[in-house]
Amino acid sequence: MKLIIENLKKTFDKKHVLKDIHFEFEKGKIYGLLGRNGAGKTTLFNCLNEDLEIDGGKFYIKENETRNIESEDIGYVLSTPNVPEFLTGREFLKFFIEINKHRIKEEKTIDEYFDFMKIDEEDRDKLLKDYSHGMKNKMQMLVNIISEPNILLLDEPLTSLDVVVAEEMKQMLKSIKDNHIIIFSTHIMELALDLCDEIVILNKGILETIDKNDLDNHEFKNKIIEALKEI
Amino acid sequence: MFKTFITSFQIKNAYRVNSIIYSIRQFPFIKKILPSHLYKNKVLKTIGNIGNIIIELYSIFIAKALYIGLCVFFMSTLYNTNIADTFIHIFLILTLIGGVINTYMFNPTKEKYYAMILMNMDARQYTLSNYSYMMLKILIGNLPTIIIFGSMSDVPMWLCLLLLFLVMMVKSIVNAYTLKYYQYKHIVRNENQLSSLLWGIVAVLLAICYGLPYIEMTISTEGFIAIFLICFVLFIPSIKIIYSFKDYQKLYKQILIPKNVYIVENQTSSAAIKQQVAKYIEIDTRLTSNKHGFAYFHELFVKRHRKILVGTIKKQSIIIVGIFIILSVVISVNKDIRENINGLLLVNLPYFLFVMYVLNRGPILTQAMFMNCDHSMLTFRIYRTPKVILGLFKERLKTLIFINLIPAFIIAIGLMFLLYLSGGTEDVINYILLFVSIVSMSVFFSVHYLVLYYLLQPYNINTEMKSSTYSVIQFCTYFVCYFMLGQKMPLYSFGIFVTVFSILYCFISLILVYNMAPKTFKIRN
Repeated sequence: MKLIIENLKKTFDKKHVLKDIHFEFEKGKIYGLLGRNGAGKTTLFNCLNEDLEIDGGKFYIKENETRNIESEDIGYVLSTPNVPEFLTGREFLKFFIEINKHRIKEEKTIDEYFDFMKIDEEDRDKLLKDYSHGMKNKMQMLVNIISEPNILLLDEPLTSLDVVVAEEMKQMLKSIKDNHIIIFSTHIMELALDLCDEIVILNKGILETIDKNDLDNHEFKNKIIEALKEI
Repeated sequence: MFKTFITSFQIKNAYRVNSIIYSIRQFPFIKKILPSHLYKNKVLKTIGNIGNIIIELYSIFIAKALYIGLCVFFMSTLYNTNIADTFIHIFLILTLIGGVINTYMFNPTKEKYYAMILMNMDARQYTLSNYSYMMLKILIGNLPTIIIFGSMSDVPMWLCLLLLFLVMMVKSIVNAYTLKYYQYKHIVRNENQLSSLLWGIVAVLLAICYGLPYIEMTISTEGFIAIFLICFVLFIPSIKIIYSFKDYQKLYKQILIPKNVYIVENQTSSAAIKQQVAKYIEIDTRLTSNKHGFAYFHELFVKRHRKILVGTIKKQSIIIVGIFIILSVVISVNKDIRENINGLLLVNLPYFLFVMYVLNRGPILTQAMFMNCDHSMLTFRIYRTPKVILGLFKERLKTLIFINLIPAFIIAIGLMFLLYLSGGTEDVINYILLFVSIVSMSVFFSVHYLVLYYLLQPYNINTEMKSSTYSVIQFCTYFVCYFMLGQKMPLYSFGIFVTVFSILYCFISLILVYNMAPKTFKIRN
């Protein structure tokens, strides 16, 4: 399965944030989307998630044949976690499992999901309002994984997490990558190099892959920085 | 110092002009016509500058004329006392109050914050030049107004001139005292955060200001002259203190902090509102639901927001019942009131449009829906599918109509009962129309607010209100209801009109929601 983007364009007030995006993302890989501040990473995600109307181009899924992206195909984890604060963690999961029942292939119990995400028992029946930032982030990630979307868009999800939780999340993402196309936006290069299979750069409205070839990590970093400066 | 003043004036000017352009761009459709680089457009800047000059002239002349005209002249005509004495009395006391609550120097404004903190301008030069300008504004702005209203109140010209200088003197004395207080105690007074003692003094002064003339007492001309002379004696050293004070930089670093400067923004900021609305959530997690899917989700939302839903409805209902009991007793014992109320009920039904508007829980509930629920849920695509949006809309509409109908039923039955008690009406249809129109108004407002929310969802991801159309419609709703307060219409015609209108409105708006909400109900960009 592939996510194919063709001629994608998005403009704000005559500023061409996404100029002419062409790209193919493949299932089974984690893509590290790197870009400088304001490069348009979140805009790209918002376009793919149809939060923003695009000004041109198209994107679709290609399996045996091509088809449009349905709402069930995409899971989008925002950099600032948003969860309904009037529910407890357990209630939120129960609700999410119920409305996604038809899509979940191997349904687990609520506690198994909590265990998978390493959320302590004592926190499971607390209102989400009282969850810490990291726990809210885990919950947001969890509900996006439960619904088993084909494409997972992660907008700087690890930036504000402590090192232990960030490491847990990294391992978790590696463990689920085989069944998803994961696009992981960040501006921390080390994180991208450590976690991602492919490095993609968004700069001045253009998206392009940076090949590692036979370069060592240091040389690869320099190549990425040069690319970010040059494009 | 003059150069500093010009620079500070330019900063204030740029800030105001940009604010004017920003406000213009917030109107629907205009944002698309006017691009963001318009902030550097010279023509628009010139228009903004003209607007700024108008604002400045308004603050110099019109605002002062309104203040003296309404608070001093108009008020002094309401008493049986000598109008000239009363004019001087009120002016004097209000000047003393103004000295405390409107110092200019100890008001932490954004302009001062930008200039002295962010742009690191010389605090002493900035303060003294702007303080001098402010004093000049007081003298020039008050001069024509005091002379005109003073003459109309038969205050001699020489006394008018004394009043003119009194304002400047009182402000300077209070400011000098506050500077000295800072020198000794290192505490800066913020005029927006008065102590309870000062508020008490202000209250007493207000009572003296408007209360004494009521019992035909005013400060005599001799008394005023004595106070003026005392102020004059204190004014000279005060000016010296103000203009020789060296630590303005230190002083303003204490008072010009974001907490003070952005006090209005802090209280009305989207983050503060979100925090406030989050407090509506009932902590009790034992309030649960046996339903499934979206019904489960919605029921939990309602149960966890009992405070703002059921709690308020209970309070409303108790108060309404109380009012009806009191009115029933009064009607039973007083024949005149009985006849009056009977007449009012038959022609004053439009008044209840405003009552139903005020009682409706729609605005608070839709706000809580977004802040505590949809803000997060709308980021999930599954939540934005037409089936989910319309399914939840239906559940929400049922709840909103139901909770608003409780006080509406009480009012409708209460009014029918009052009509009967106060002598009734020959036409039985009037009773039915009274009931139906109150219920229709309640349903109308419930539908109106929810439909508005679903069609115009006004908030962005940062929970900021971003739809001027939404605000304009809300204001129009308020305006129409307020306008109807004073209207008299026969119960028969208004009842039929409001019922038919409500039914048509609900019908049309529900069709609109079913067709458009899947596209419009999303987080704004």
